[in-house]
Amino acid sequence: MHYANTYLEKPVVPDVKINKEGSVDVLKCMLNTGSDIYQGACKKRGSTLKEEYKNASGTCYMDPRDMEKLGVNNWDTVLVKTDWGEVVVSAAASRDAPHEGQVFICKGPWANTVVSAETYCCIDPTYKGIHCTVEKTDKKVLLMADLMRKNYKKWVDEDDDEVLENMPSLGELPVFKRKEQED
Amino acid sequence: MAYEAPITDYDHIVENCTCAFCGCNCDDLDYLVKDGHVVAVRHACRLGASKIMEDLDQRLLVPMVRDDDGELKEVDWDTALDKAAEYIANSIRPIFYGWSETSIECMKEGVALGEYIGAVLDNQATICHGPSLLAVQNAGYPVQTLGEVQSRADMCVFSGSNPMNSHPRHLARYSVFCRGYFRTRGRFDRTVVTMDPKFTDTAKVSDLWVGFEQNGDYGFYNAIRAVLKGKELYQDVISGIPREDIYELAEAMKNAEFGTLFFGLGLTHTLSKQRSIDIAIKMIIDLNKFTKWGLTPMRGHFNVNGFNIFMAFESGFPLGVDYCRGYPRFLSGETNTIDLLTRGECDVFMVVAADPGAHYPNGAVQHLAKIPVIQVDIHWGPSTEIADVVLPGSFIGVECGGTSYRMDGVPIYMKKAIDKPETCRDDEWIIRELKERVMKLREEPNVAPKYVPNPAAL
Amino acid sequence: MEYILKNGIVFDPTNNVKGEKKDVMFKDGKIVEQVSDDAKVLDVTDKLVMPAGIDPHAHIAGPKLVVGRMYRPEDSRRGATQKTSVIRGESGFSIPSCPATGYRYSRMGYGTVVEAAMPPLEGKHTHEEICAIPNIDVPALPLFGNNWFVFEFAKENKIDELAAFISSWLKITKGYGVKIVNPCGSEAWGWGKNVHGFDDKPPYFDVTSREVVKALAKANEKLGLPHSIHIHPNDLGHPGNVPTTLETLDSIKDVKKNAGVRDQTIHCCHLQFHAYQGNSWKDASSGAEEIAKYINSTDHVTCDVGQVTLDETTTMTADAPMEYDLYKLSGLKWVNKDIEFETAAGIIPVIYSAKSPVNTLQWAIGLELFLHIDDPWKVCLTTDHPNAGPFQRYPRIMSWLMSNTRRMEMIENGEVHKWVNSRTTLPTIDREYDFNDIAIISRAAPAKIYGFEDRGALTPGYNADIAVYDIKPNEIDPSKEYEAIEKGFSLTDYTIKDGKILVKDKEIVQVKKSRTIWTNVMGLEKEEQAVIDGIMPFFNQYYSVKWENYPVHDHYLSDPIRVDVQASK
Repeated sequence: MHYANTYLEKPVVPDVKINKEGSVDVLKCMLNTGSDIYQGACKKRGSTLKEEYKNASGTCYMDPRDMEKLGVNNWDTVLVKTDWGEVVVSAAASRDAPHEGQVFICKGPWANTVVSAETYCCIDPTYKGIHCTVEKTDKKVLLMADLMRKNYKKWVDEDDDEVLENMPSLGELPVFKRKEQED
Repeated sequence: MAYEAPITDYDHIVENCTCAFCGCNCDDLDYLVKDGHVVAVRHACRLGASKIMEDLDQRLLVPMVRDDDGELKEVDWDTALDKAAEYIANSIRPIFYGWSETSIECMKEGVALGEYIGAVLDNQATICHGPSLLAVQNAGYPVQTLGEVQSRADMCVFSGSNPMNSHPRHLARYSVFCRGYFRTRGRFDRTVVTMDPKFTDTAKVSDLWVGFEQNGDYGFYNAIRAVLKGKELYQDVISGIPREDIYELAEAMKNAEFGTLFFGLGLTHTLSKQRSIDIAIKMIIDLNKFTKWGLTPMRGHFNVNGFNIFMAFESGFPLGVDYCRGYPRFLSGETNTIDLLTRGECDVFMVVAADPGAHYPNGAVQHLAKIPVIQVDIHWGPSTEIADVVLPGSFIGVECGGTSYRMDGVPIYMKKAIDKPETCRDDEWIIRELKERVMKLREEPNVAPKYVPNPAAL
Repeated sequence: MEYILKNGIVFDPTNNVKGEKKDVMFKDGKIVEQVSDDAKVLDVTDKLVMPAGIDPHAHIAGPKLVVGRMYRPEDSRRGATQKTSVIRGESGFSIPSCPATGYRYSRMGYGTVVEAAMPPLEGKHTHEEICAIPNIDVPALPLFGNNWFVFEFAKENKIDELAAFISSWLKITKGYGVKIVNPCGSEAWGWGKNVHGFDDKPPYFDVTSREVVKALAKANEKLGLPHSIHIHPNDLGHPGNVPTTLETLDSIKDVKKNAGVRDQTIHCCHLQFHAYQGNSWKDASSGAEEIAKYINSTDHVTCDVGQVTLDETTTMTADAPMEYDLYKLSGLKWVNKDIEFETAAGIIPVIYSAKSPVNTLQWAIGLELFLHIDDPWKVCLTTDHPNAGPFQRYPRIMSWLMSNTRRMEMIENGEVHKWVNSRTTLPTIDREYDFNDIAIISRAAPAKIYGFEDRGALTPGYNADIAVYDIKPNEIDPSKEYEAIEKGFSLTDYTIKDGKILVKDKEIVQVKKSRTIWTNVMGLEKEEQAVIDGIMPFFNQYYSVKWENYPVHDHYLSDPIRVDVQASK
């Protein structure tokens, strides 16, 4: 059957060409999280196991000047650290630039890793306005299922993050025991 | 994106369906149906179309229970429901969270179960517009329906909200571009202002971008209020905005015929939480001394407002309603989900039509990894990765009818267009089944032997 | 199931029963003349028996109620009570949750409550809440007084079209009758303005309040609806509003009544708020006597009072500009809710204090109206819940009406402000209501005014809606024992609804689903379609919902009671 297609592998981002090495190793920034249309569309379609979600949600949108300082190009990987955790995400030029010194990660398991659960008794966690550092990394961005496994370890006995990161991927499709397999 | 040929191969069209995505609840969608599937959708935005043209790879189709190996295993409905009911019946501090992407009809069953067992019922407002509700309790709530904005508004302000990304048809259908009775030229008859630290896609289509600095919202609104009250500003720059610009904007707001402030999570997620919204509401109230102004919180899910409305008429409180004492109570910091989780209080968590795995901060999800999690949803998502029991529901507004409340409180009946997958069940049915099973497993706790009136209500 | 309520002292004004000791029998939910020997006997010897109460004007369900509950957790907390094996947990004082609303009315012996303001666009919401309220039947009155289509018909004096519009909108909203709130004023509020007086126009509309009210009254009578127009006149709460009120009432006097079931052609709600003399609060005084005089001298007007109970409460009305005026006075948190092309609403918490001169004046005016209006069939007991006070204060008001002793005590002890002496006639009135009067203002008159032919009396064939109070009318002296009167009317010995015993010995023993009552006008199908066809271009272009989504579908009604009316052509 021919279905209308709403998939988009990667968000569309402005072109940047950064050839330099970069002037700093670690960039101090203000982190905001929230939604954008790519993340929203992918999440609600239900494609959360897919590469598409990883690219829509697991991406740190930066001002090109900050990218230059760090020496990263679109879809290079960076490590974002805050007081609450650290996560590997892709870097990409922000459509909303200029906002030097501010980075944006769409909401999702990647952003959750580094935002503050503190509500200060005001109901909402603090998803925006968090001090963070951004640095280059060689590590890869995990797919959703792999990230959930590494972060929450609900069903694995392993607690070494390094080992968890390098376990075989759970992939882009649901993994469960079907009835007919048993028979 | 590559060119997509329009879908021409379909059996029939179902008109006037309601979009089950954001708080705009656009009720003018047309679904193109072939062989019982929606193959294309007309009039929807990218978000709505994407949700309705769901990812079938990840559609939850069968009930599943986590086995001893920690793997989800397909089971029959009875087994899954019994397992979930057992968790709930044996719980001390259960939370039933979610509800914003299901119908009021399902919530009715949810509140019955919650009241019976003494659960906390909470919804996604607890991670989005919760502070807005606190601010409403502090300062008031001058609102209007979206049709009022369409026909009257000559000034629209978006603050901490980026509808071009999160509510894409809002500007076209309700607020900015649309022609209204008194705004016959649509966009040309309106002044559009976006207040956001970032030059968002909404700022790009606005007449004016107020790029106040991060966490500068409170100071900025405070300055506007001061100007409205005839005070002089002494600082040259306030929250990153030059004094002259603030005078000018305040004057423009006073001179509008009908203004509306739409605000979003940019105000609720920052450090000052409800205080920013308090003062924004106060600013709107002050403006009414000069001309007509109202506001609307840009609610995210199509029925997030519905849950708050529903709980308020059932219990007197809009969110975070705790029934553990046999009567409804609410206190921010005490009965809201995130705090209950970070304190480690909750012992069973049921998530209905929501995805805490995707949207809770790590610090809260860590606790979900320690306790049984029951998921009622339509797609395999991050929450499925931490769920112990998975119950596949049906898609409200596509496969199942039901009531929702738009961001401005207008009730909408979301009709059914196609049949649900045979192996799925309606959310309402699932929760009712759970309720009946829990009732068999455990006698109702916290029942007073006799009605004792509250002297304060006499 | 057959029952016999034995040896009660029965007050049934409709059937002219005034305190007779007699049995009341009912079977299968209806009052009957006779039952068999198998009937279950409920001994109520010497206790006060009345038809179940009917509240003709309260705000208990709908969009503004819910905002009230949402934004006043302090009020919700005030009424929290724990669930029992029969009832759910309660919350709220002035704006109780839906379950609490039903239980509390039931405990006071009420069986029917009219929800007095339903915005058509959000009619589904009102009906959802009605379904969530147990134990009472709830008709709802849709708002017509600021509807743009009504303005158009009124301006051109198209009464036939307007009648078809009303008939159609009653079906669409599942409404009972025509409610008008601050006609033209709430539309003016769309621009932050108000209208002043009865002959003012809202911006951009060439139509006056007078024209709207007259047109609606004519259309209402053309249809012969069971209820007359139900009006909240302009200038509510403004000192010096008496002329506006009187002009409004007088403007209808020539409209010919076309319904046998009722006597009036205009019902004016919460009249207390419309009976202020003076130019400002500084020199305000009571206009109750003047208004009562007018009502006594005519026979086309009925009213309910909106008695101030001197509590902290929540005001909420479709008269949104008035709520903003209140905000300017008190500075308390303000809610506004404008509904496209139809109406508006405002909410604000209010603390009525007996120490306040203005609040005392309001309190006294309410009582004056009760006492100056000679015929109790023209006046109903309300607090305009929750505006002048919560409905659970009705028993206290009854005790004030029955006891001049208590009223004078309050005045002389200084329990209320001394303005009561200088600005009102209350201290000079010694009239006291008797049980028959109470039965009239709280059940018989509202039933008559609404044209109910199935409730409000103990007539055989009527619904078995009965209240038995722990008051012995032949032994008590209400004038002296006012506290016992208040207590007695607060909790029934029995509340019976449709033959089901809901309250027994002051405890709710059973919960039943509420039903809505709506008016179905028959015979205008063609005219209605023509009107809808005519407004469809506007609707499609400007309303923010699709037409398909506008009506209240049957899905939102549980077991509704449909009142069929044959339209006269």
